Amino acid sequence: MTIVDTKMKRGDASDGLLGGRLARIDGPAKITGAADYAMEHSPEGMVYAVIVDSTIASGRVVAIDTSAAEAYPGVLVVLTPDNALPIKTATDWTGAPPPAVPYEPLAREITFAGQHIAAVIAETFEQATAAAALVKVTYEETAPISSFDDPRSGEGYPIDMMTKEWGDADAALAIAPVRIEQEYKTPREYNVPIEPHGLIAHWEGDMLTLWEPSQWIDGMSRTYAEWFSIPFENVRMLSPYIGGGFGSKALPTRYGAVAAIAAKMLDRPVKLAITRPQTFTAFGGRPATRQTIALGATREGKLLSIVHRSANETSMDDVAIEPLGSVTSIMYAVPNFSSRQNIVPVNTVKPGALRAPGENPSAFGIECAIDELAYEVGIDPLDIRLLNYAEEDPHAKKPWSTRRLREAYAAGAEAFGWAKRSPSVRSMREGKQLIGYGVAAGTYPVRRTPGEAMVRILSNGTIEVASSGIDMGQGTYTILAQTAAEAIGVPVETVVVKLGDSSLPRAPVAGGSQLANLMTGAVHVAALAARDELIGLAINDPNSPFRDLQANTLTIEGGQMSSPRDAGSSVAIAEVMRRTGRNSIEALRNTLPENLRNKDDHFRNFTTISTMLSPTEGDYSMHSWCVHFVEVRVDVDFGTVRVSRMVSALDSGRLYNPKLAESQWKGGIIMGIGQALLEEGLVDQRNGHVMNNNLGDYLVPTNADIPHLEVISVGIPDTNASILGGKAVGELAIVGVAPAIANAVYHATGIRVRDLPITLEKLI
Amino acid sequence: MSNQTTINLEINGQAHTLAVEPRVTLLDALRDHLELTGTKKGCDQGQCGACTVHVDGERVLSCLTLAVQVEGRAVTTIEGLSDPGAELHPVQSAFLEHDAFQCGYCTPGQIMSAVSCIREGHAGSDDEIREYMSGNLCRCGAYPHIVEAVREAAKVMS
Repeated sequence: MTIVDTKMKRGDASDGLLGGRLARIDGPAKITGAADYAMEHSPEGMVYAVIVDSTIASGRVVAIDTSAAEAYPGVLVVLTPDNALPIKTATDWTGAPPPAVPYEPLAREITFAGQHIAAVIAETFEQATAAAALVKVTYEETAPISSFDDPRSGEGYPIDMMTKEWGDADAALAIAPVRIEQEYKTPREYNVPIEPHGLIAHWEGDMLTLWEPSQWIDGMSRTYAEWFSIPFENVRMLSPYIGGGFGSKALPTRYGAVAAIAAKMLDRPVKLAITRPQTFTAFGGRPATRQTIALGATREGKLLSIVHRSANETSMDDVAIEPLGSVTSIMYAVPNFSSRQNIVPVNTVKPGALRAPGENPSAFGIECAIDELAYEVGIDPLDIRLLNYAEEDPHAKKPWSTRRLREAYAAGAEAFGWAKRSPSVRSMREGKQLIGYGVAAGTYPVRRTPGEAMVRILSNGTIEVASSGIDMGQGTYTILAQTAAEAIGVPVETVVVKLGDSSLPRAPVAGGSQLANLMTGAVHVAALAARDELIGLAINDPNSPFRDLQANTLTIEGGQMSSPRDAGSSVAIAEVMRRTGRNSIEALRNTLPENLRNKDDHFRNFTTISTMLSPTEGDYSMHSWCVHFVEVRVDVDFGTVRVSRMVSALDSGRLYNPKLAESQWKGGIIMGIGQALLEEGLVDQRNGHVMNNNLGDYLVPTNADIPHLEVISVGIPDTNASILGGKAVGELAIVGVAPAIANAVYHATGIRVRDLPITLEKLI
Repeated sequence: MSNQTTINLEINGQAHTLAVEPRVTLLDALRDHLELTGTKKGCDQGQCGACTVHVDGERVLSCLTLAVQVEGRAVTTIEGLSDPGAELHPVQSAFLEHDAFQCGYCTPGQIMSAVSCIREGHAGSDDEIREYMSGNLCRCGAYPHIVEAVREAAKVMS
């Protein structure tokens, strides 16, 4: 159990209230090395597992010779498909019932390079690593389809649920006075959290303890329980701190099953940390995408039609959809629209979720295309966005709950100095540097799943908040302390927050930028309930110091209770608890609608995504919005691109802690700069290997790549979107960065790069 | 396994005697044998900087250093930068104040590098800080706040 408390006072008292700039309360543990990440535990008798991966991308394993590995000192067992304990297939994250077939985390049939085929478990990490290199695998190899650039991959197959159409897009396009059509592509991109993935699995009888970095403790625990046919309650998962996830630590993995199988077979705790190269193939990042966008418009730049055709890669045996029409369909007012999407199976691991799956590449397409249209009709790229501003959701035909995008355009343009932009391409220059200004918008939906929280008032006046929800750097610990402090009326220093443990009240996935909103809502409701009970106790208990006042209510401020009738004489919460003889007051509350409060629906709500509401469920269409203004400098001789200045204006509704929200925004922007200029999974077309599967070759931004970033909040509380008025934060800010940079590069150079990343050879 | 060797290490001013195989890295010795898990393993191949420690006052990557190589040399890890319960090192305070981290996993390495960056005299400008802090990757994207924190800490330390 990890407990983060707020004993160290930071900043002003007002910082502790919701909306205050409180420094993160898990900060002291993280800056001193005391924070206990999941894989840093050492249960007695722990041994080490190392995975052996397939070196071919397509074919089958004919034989595995484990004799040399088994003979290696310290080796306890070599797991292969032949000797691994059989387990069952589990319910998937959508809640779809599993097929009644075994789940085989070690493969015989190979569909991608890097597929797990064996595991070596030894007394030490060094022994397991050395022995894993001795496992000899014989394959029968078939020619892989390495990527959707291979003509043999074909066009894939359509995903009808992604089709969005209104009006008659083809007909309107055919008669539009201005027509442009281009293809936009994004490569495979990877999450690359600095903490690599893995787990420690430990069985005690039929109780399974897992120390595993997880964005979704309850969902993953359910899977482990079903794999091994044990009750959900028998799985204890601990994930007190997570060293980054960005979408990649939300779902159970094959290596997780391998570690739990090994631990059960050996009856020893097993630690399995995958290597950095394995983080490129043990789970998927963002799939490669391509989009063809045709815009039809008037000569003044008013959109008449959008025809959008897109595809993303998926694995040979599974369906991964990167929703490429998600931004295309809501960013601009357009009377005729058609978006359809295919997926193309290739020999890759199943792609996964990476920050703003769908919205991110979708925005790259439409936000470049609208920029191209601006140049085509000869108007300012900012003006064309305002000209086509969507006053309501053009797809759902519902009003926005809040859409402060117009305010964002204005605030960002002012702070950036957009008016100083010279309209023609290649018209701004300093010495050997071509200077370009670019703009692009972004959006991310408000996703909503009910939450749950326990709030306790302890006898010493401490407030305890508990949830299995997690903090991977978003600031969950901190904003929940602020929420409880404000709701009850205590200094934030008296709040203790417990997270990341499946023995605590349930929480849905920390994904889709939903956790902050649903958890602050649940904590707010639970804290008010605890406060009400405390006040009731203070009014009614015969031993209460307030008994004689015969008050109807009491106020609590700064941890002191007082009566409106006698504000002068206040009593500390701890004193009231002592006088009334109470050890604690507990309030466990959830925000489930009444029809979902039965046991089965409660379980389903927290262990699947089946109860997550779409952003257009209800009377409004709910989204966060942003705009990025970018200045780039392109070396005229070498084609190197530097982002030299950036201003972003963002509407995430109410910010629970601006200091931490700004950090998340900047983090998204920086990942977007990496996406625009650096990041690209390079696939060897001959054998399907990801060639740059390490941090020296898959380039993510370094400190020197990033200029000063200015972020401006233009949001207002949106209580349609969430109980306390916040909208999506974490995934918003990456959306629109890459097109803003591509548009700036075009302005600087006159060269339109439509396939990311924008590397120098595309500019010279 | 029989080919263990006994080594004597000085970590954060304390002497430790350890029986490990010669191939054990300083990083794994710290994390798996000495329970000093503040030093992080991010890539295990010298590319991310999360494992940065000080050896004889210089920043080194502990994943590319064998434990046997640092016998007789003074090793400082994040746990030794300030005493428990005592005042934080100025770089630690500045990281907290400027929110120079999110998930916290690269943070001990960033802080160890930042202390060196300032000591080496490479915190003279924001651009210089960016350059000399670029051996430490942060995927959460705390770079602008790291620059602010190093700039502020350098003032305090000078």
